[in-house]
Amino acid sequence: MSNFAQEFVDAGWEQKCSQPLRKDDQMNKKSIGKLFGYFQSAEGSAYIFLLPSIILLLMFNIIPLLMAFGLSFFDVPMTLDSAKFIGIENFRDAFSDSRFINSLKVTAIFTAIEVPVQVFGAMIVAAFIAKNDLKNKFFRAIYFLPVICSATAIGIMWKMILHSNVGFFTYALSTMGLGRINFFNDVHLTIFTVAFISIWRSFGISAIIYVTAIQNVNSSLYEAAKMDGAGSLMQFLNVTVPSIRPTFWFILMTRFAGSLQIFDIVFMTTNGGPNYTTESTVTYVYSRAFSSGSQMGYASTLSVILFVVIMIVTVIMNKRMNAEE
Amino acid sequence: MKRRLVSVLLAATMTVVSLAGCGSTSAAKVEGASGTSVAAEENAEKAAGGPVTIKFWNGFTGSDGDELVELVDKFNSENKDGITVEMDISASLDEQLASAFAAGDGPDLVLFSSASRFTYGDYLQDISDIFDKTSLDKGDFIEAYTDYCSEGDSLYLVPMEIVGFYLYWNKDLFKDAGLDPEKGPESWDEYVEYAKKITNAEKNIYGSGLCYGYNYQMSHIVQRFGDLAVTKDNDGKWKANFDGNTGYAKFLDTYKSLVDSGDNPLTDDTDSMMTAGQLGMTVNGPWLTSGMETAGINYGITTIPYGDAGKMTSAEVIGMAVTTFASEEEKNACYKFIEWWNSKDANGDCPSEKWSLDFGYPTYLKSVLESDAYKANEKVMSMTNTDTSLRADFIVDSAFPGIGKIINDVIPKMTQPVLFDGKNADETLSECQKLADDIVGEYNE
Repeated sequence: MSNFAQEFVDAGWEQKCSQPLRKDDQMNKKSIGKLFGYFQSAEGSAYIFLLPSIILLLMFNIIPLLMAFGLSFFDVPMTLDSAKFIGIENFRDAFSDSRFINSLKVTAIFTAIEVPVQVFGAMIVAAFIAKNDLKNKFFRAIYFLPVICSATAIGIMWKMILHSNVGFFTYALSTMGLGRINFFNDVHLTIFTVAFISIWRSFGISAIIYVTAIQNVNSSLYEAAKMDGAGSLMQFLNVTVPSIRPTFWFILMTRFAGSLQIFDIVFMTTNGGPNYTTESTVTYVYSRAFSSGSQMGYASTLSVILFVVIMIVTVIMNKRMNAEE
Repeated sequence: MKRRLVSVLLAATMTVVSLAGCGSTSAAKVEGASGTSVAAEENAEKAAGGPVTIKFWNGFTGSDGDELVELVDKFNSENKDGITVEMDISASLDEQLASAFAAGDGPDLVLFSSASRFTYGDYLQDISDIFDKTSLDKGDFIEAYTDYCSEGDSLYLVPMEIVGFYLYWNKDLFKDAGLDPEKGPESWDEYVEYAKKITNAEKNIYGSGLCYGYNYQMSHIVQRFGDLAVTKDNDGKWKANFDGNTGYAKFLDTYKSLVDSGDNPLTDDTDSMMTAGQLGMTVNGPWLTSGMETAGINYGITTIPYGDAGKMTSAEVIGMAVTTFASEEEKNACYKFIEWWNSKDANGDCPSEKWSLDFGYPTYLKSVLESDAYKANEKVMSMTNTDTSLRADFIVDSAFPGIGKIINDVIPKMTQPVLFDGKNADETLSECQKLADDIVGEYNE
């Protein structure tokens, strides 16, 4: 124990008691001192530094997650003031709920549109802007700009631009003879519109991560490829792509999980319409919990199902990534 | 060593601070430094006629919120009872209330839709004695609106704002179509006829602005055609009225034919078009007026035309409720604030009247309805149904707790399959009946 700790413990003890020390008190004093000493050691102090993060993680992630699992077996209103245990009834209801099944389908379609564009499109764009010159820095800033904008602002902006009658872009297309395209009110088209807005919003972050990965590729590999007669395309396919595979998997996994949880852009632009063709699972969960249902138990059940789907997909991808490594 | 110790202490402080932020207010109130209860001291102070602070939560985040802040400040500075109203305006009031109530905390006074009493009923106090404890006269309140806020003899909210939907028309487009610009349609047949005259495809102008994406707009119109979607049957049980409702079927056919003929755009946003001068008529709430005025649209307002369901008005009542978290003293302070809101001061100014005139919300007080200032306000008078005996239920019987589910889950299932899937009205209404029966069944158990 350090001198400071010893003095601290001694001083406290002297203040509290002028009586001779009993045996168990002496034991307590020793163990407190030992604990104090441990938290000053290199190993012990690490736990103190980790404690704020652990507490926050517990409060905002682990406990709510466990609570959601628990709530999924109850019939609970929004205020959580009464709970009736109903077993797996919520799960049974979920799988016979046509709106929930539809929302899973919509989410799957959305993911199928968004993920390839994010993963492969961002990689290609990153290859063009990887070199550190002024022009590329400018483009990186442009691509990254939407990432720092709020989903609300983005939703309102695109709703105005693509409005079927008063939208600037729609008007521009109509002057080119393409007619007035109803971007937000066509059951076959609107899901693509929402996916486009979502991609536009988060494309920059994927591209910037790829740029960082590409910049870290050993330049001697490119020189060797050049000496073997490889052009830019072959260098990209045979040097860049294999070298950034861990980044590729990271983006694939995070974009997959992100797409399966799409909410804000849908909520701001279509709110699930027209005719539920853009109602994602999280949008539906929100509507059950807050908009009309006040069914916190049922909403938790739907969230748990989505959680399991995301977990399965992520575990499979993670295994694949580890196998490759 | 010293540096490490300082770092460890800092980390520990951060942890303590992060935990302290999560402590509930009630916990903080429990024990004072001397070991006596601070809450008890506060109550003793209040009982002795000392200052009282009431927490007042609402979701008025727009320009109405700015005016509410001004009025609350006025009350705080003028009242002689030592009452301070601490207001918290939140864009996500429902989420905030749900979290607070679940944590055993909450405001003393809350301003929300009368339909919220079905969600938060366990947390609201019966305030029917407000008419005994204050100078407010129950007879001055229009009964149709106080009915909204009551269950049996118990009153849970005092009306503060009446939100109705109205028919707006563009006077310039009326003139261009050869219609009388000073008179809106008085029936739905006239509405369709006017829409056809106004539509000008070349100029991208539509006569009608019905919008499938506005569930509230749809609900207000639908009930004009086929009356309430949920009522009580002779056995006192709730019943849904979709299947075989010829009024609803007529509405769906009318809407579909307006879209098919190109007189109504297929869009989920008609507000932008109305403010851009591209719509002849639409139905919306009073908030549309500010957008129209900013855009310089020459417009008229009137009540929504009656349909086959006969004369009615339909409105959502926003009211002030006292929660179970308010002590007796705080409840009395809330009463004082509500009394002040609905009374005239020495200069003849009434906050409730000012609110109606500034934002165009029809009044719920008969005395305001009779005031010269109110009668002189053309805009608000055009939204006011002066027949105070008309029923005001909105889409369902005002006592039906499942109103939110009918509006958000059934109404879109009624309009959108007809517009997008080409389903016929009768088939769609049969499916809606099944959906509504499930909802109604929950409340009949």
